[in-house]
Amino acid sequence: MSNFFTGLLRLKRGPWEMLATILIGLGVVMLMQPFALWLYTYSFVVTLAGTVMFIIVSHFKE
Amino acid sequence: MTDSLDTRAAAATPVRVAREIRGLSDRAIAWIFVAPTIFLLLAINIFPLIWTIRLSFTNFKANRNRDLEWVGLRNYERILGDSDIWLNMQATAHFLFWTIFFQVLIGFTLAYLINKKFKGNDLWTTIIVLPMMLSPAVVGNFWKFLYQPQIGLFNYVIAFFTGKEPSSFEMLGSVNLAPWSIVIVDTWMWTPFVMLICLAGLRSIPDYIYEAAEVDRASKLRQFFTITIPMVLPFLMLAVLFRGIENFKMFDLVVQLTGGGPGSITELTSINLKREAFEKWRTGYASAYAIILFVTVFGLASIYVKALNKVKER
Amino acid sequence: MSSFSVTEPSARSKWFAGTLVILYALITMVPLAWIMLTGFKSPSDAISYPPKIVFEPTLEGYVNLFTTRTRQTPEFLAANPPEKWYEEIVREYDMVIAGPSKFGERFLNSVIIGFGSTFLSIFLGTLAAYAFSRFKIPLADDLLFFILSTRMMPPIAVAIPIFLMYRQLGLSDTHLGMILLYTGVNISLAVWLLKGFIDEIPLEYEEAALIDGYTRFQAFYKVVLPQAATGIASTAIFCLIFAWNEYAFAVLLTSGTAQTAPPFIPTIIGVGGLDWPAVAAGATIFLLPVMIFTILLRKHLLRGITFGAVRK
Repeated sequence: MSNFFTGLLRLKRGPWEMLATILIGLGVVMLMQPFALWLYTYSFVVTLAGTVMFIIVSHFKE
Repeated sequence: MTDSLDTRAAAATPVRVAREIRGLSDRAIAWIFVAPTIFLLLAINIFPLIWTIRLSFTNFKANRNRDLEWVGLRNYERILGDSDIWLNMQATAHFLFWTIFFQVLIGFTLAYLINKKFKGNDLWTTIIVLPMMLSPAVVGNFWKFLYQPQIGLFNYVIAFFTGKEPSSFEMLGSVNLAPWSIVIVDTWMWTPFVMLICLAGLRSIPDYIYEAAEVDRASKLRQFFTITIPMVLPFLMLAVLFRGIENFKMFDLVVQLTGGGPGSITELTSINLKREAFEKWRTGYASAYAIILFVTVFGLASIYVKALNKVKER
Repeated sequence: MSSFSVTEPSARSKWFAGTLVILYALITMVPLAWIMLTGFKSPSDAISYPPKIVFEPTLEGYVNLFTTRTRQTPEFLAANPPEKWYEEIVREYDMVIAGPSKFGERFLNSVIIGFGSTFLSIFLGTLAAYAFSRFKIPLADDLLFFILSTRMMPPIAVAIPIFLMYRQLGLSDTHLGMILLYTGVNISLAVWLLKGFIDEIPLEYEEAALIDGYTRFQAFYKVVLPQAATGIASTAIFCLIFAWNEYAFAVLLTSGTAQTAPPFIPTIIGVGGLDWPAVAAGATIFLLPVMIFTILLRKHLLRGITFGAVRK
C-alpha cells in the first residue's frame, strides 16, 4: 500500500493508471446503479475525470 | 527495430548503392502508407465526433430548418437529471449484469470441460461457436418467432417441462419476463465468446506447473483454486470487459426482439438514444446523450486495452 | 490406455466432459435447426400448435421470399396454366407470380457493400499495419489506441453526425456511402490485427531482400505480403462478417437503393402478418455463408474476436 502512494508521488504510471481505472469503474457503477438519482447525476463527471486522467497518465514513465 | 534494420543493411551495402536502392526514404513511405487510414478515420470517426460535441451544446433539430441556438450545458443537465433515462440505465445494468454472470458461468464451465481434450472436441467447439458469428438483427428476429406464446418452440419446450399452458405466458409481452428474454438470447449467442477466451487462458497454463503441484501433493481442488483460477483470471477479465462494452451499446439484437417494450422495460440506452435522435429528432439533446455514452465506452475501452496488453505480455 | 502424464485427464473424466459439451452443443443448435426447418414449412405448418417436427416439406417459403404475388380470378387462372414449378406452388392459393421481390436486390447490396468495404479496409489496413510495424512513427502508441477505440464506439452515437454529414454530401442510401462507413469501422480492427501478423514476420527476410537490391516497396509486396497472406485472409473474413451482419448503421442510413439484407429480412410481410417461412428462408440463405466461413476459419477465429490478444 505504501508503494502505491510513493508511486503516486513520483508520478509513476502504474498506480496512477490504477487510480484512473478505479474512477472510471466508479463512474460506470454510479451511472447504472438503482439506488440514488444524485449518484446517477454525478456519474458522468466522475467517468469523464477518470478517462481524461487515464489519457494523461498513460504517458507517464513506468 | 527500424534502426537495427537500417544500420545492418547500411553496414552491408556501400553508401552510394544504399541510397539508390531505397528510392523513397523510409519516412516518406511510412507516411504514404499511414495517411489514407488516418484520413479515413478522421473523416468517418473524428470529424463526426467533434461535430457531435458541438451539437450537444445546441438545441438543433435535424428535421427542422432553423438556426441553432447555443444552450450551454442545459442538454447535459436535463439528461443527467432525468429519472426516466436513469431507468433506462438500470434496464441496461440488469441486462449487463445477468448476461455477464451467465456467460462467465457457462462459458468457463464449457472451456474447462473442452480442455479435458476428449475426442472430437475441435468439431464440437466449432459448432458451439456458430451462434456468435451470426447477424444479431436476424437472430433477434427469429428468436421472436421462437418466443411466440401460442406457436413458438420456446414456450412449447418450457410448457413440456413445467406442465404450464404454453399460451399462459408471454416472454416478450410481459413486464416481468421481457428483461429475461433478452438475457436468454444474448447468453445463447455470446457464451461461446467467453468460452473461447477462457479456453485460450486454460491452454496458456504450462503443464509443468500442475506437475510441480502434483509433486507437492496438492489436491485437485486446491490446484484448481491456486493455479487454474488465478491463471485464467486475466483472460476472464478481458472477456468480461469486452462483453460489458458490447452489451452497454447493445442495439440490433434487442431492437429486433422487443423493440424496447413492453412499455420501456427493455429500452436499453442505445434504443432510447435512437428514439431521441431519429424518432423525436431532438438532435442536440441526443448528441449530448451520445457523448455521455461515448465517454463511458471510451473509459471502459482504455481499461480494456490495458488488460489486453497485460494478457499479450504473457 | 493409461497415461503417465499427471496433466492428462482420465478416460472417465474425458467421457463425462465430452457428453456434457456435446449435450450443450446440441441444445444450442436447436434454435438454428428450427429456423432452417421452418423455411421448408407451409405457412399453416409453421404456426401450428403443437409445433410440428414432422411435416411435408415445401419450397413455398423460398418462392415467397424471392417473388411478389397477386391474387387472380378463377377464369384467369384457368386460361393461363402454370409453366414452371414455382408457379404451381403459388397456384394453390389462387395466386400468380407478379415479379421478383426485393430480396435478391437486398442480398446483392449486402454482397457489394460487404466485399467493397472489406477490400478497401484490407488494402488500406495492410499498408498502415506495415508502416506501424516496421517504421518509427511519432505517437504510434496513441495512434494505435485511437484506431482501436474508434471500433468500440456505440454505432447509434456515431450515426447522428454521419447521418447529417451524408445528407449534406448526398451519400445517404448509396453504396459508396455505406462502403466508406463500414471501411471506417473495419479498418481499425484490420490495422490492429494485421500489425500483429506482420510483427511476427522476421525482419531478416526483408533485410536480405534489401541487400539483394530490392527497394523498400518491392520488399513489401514481394516478401512481406506473401508471408502475411494467411493473416490477411483471416482478417478479411472478419471484416466481411462484420459488414455482412451490421444492422444499426444500415437501418438508420439506408432505406432503398443501398439497403442491405439484415434490415430487410424482418420486414418480409405475407398475407395477414409476417410470412414466417419466407422470413426463415431469408434468414437461412443469409446466415449460411457465415456458418460456412466460421467452420473454415475456426483456427483463426480467436485472434480476430479478441483484437489479437489471444494468438492460438
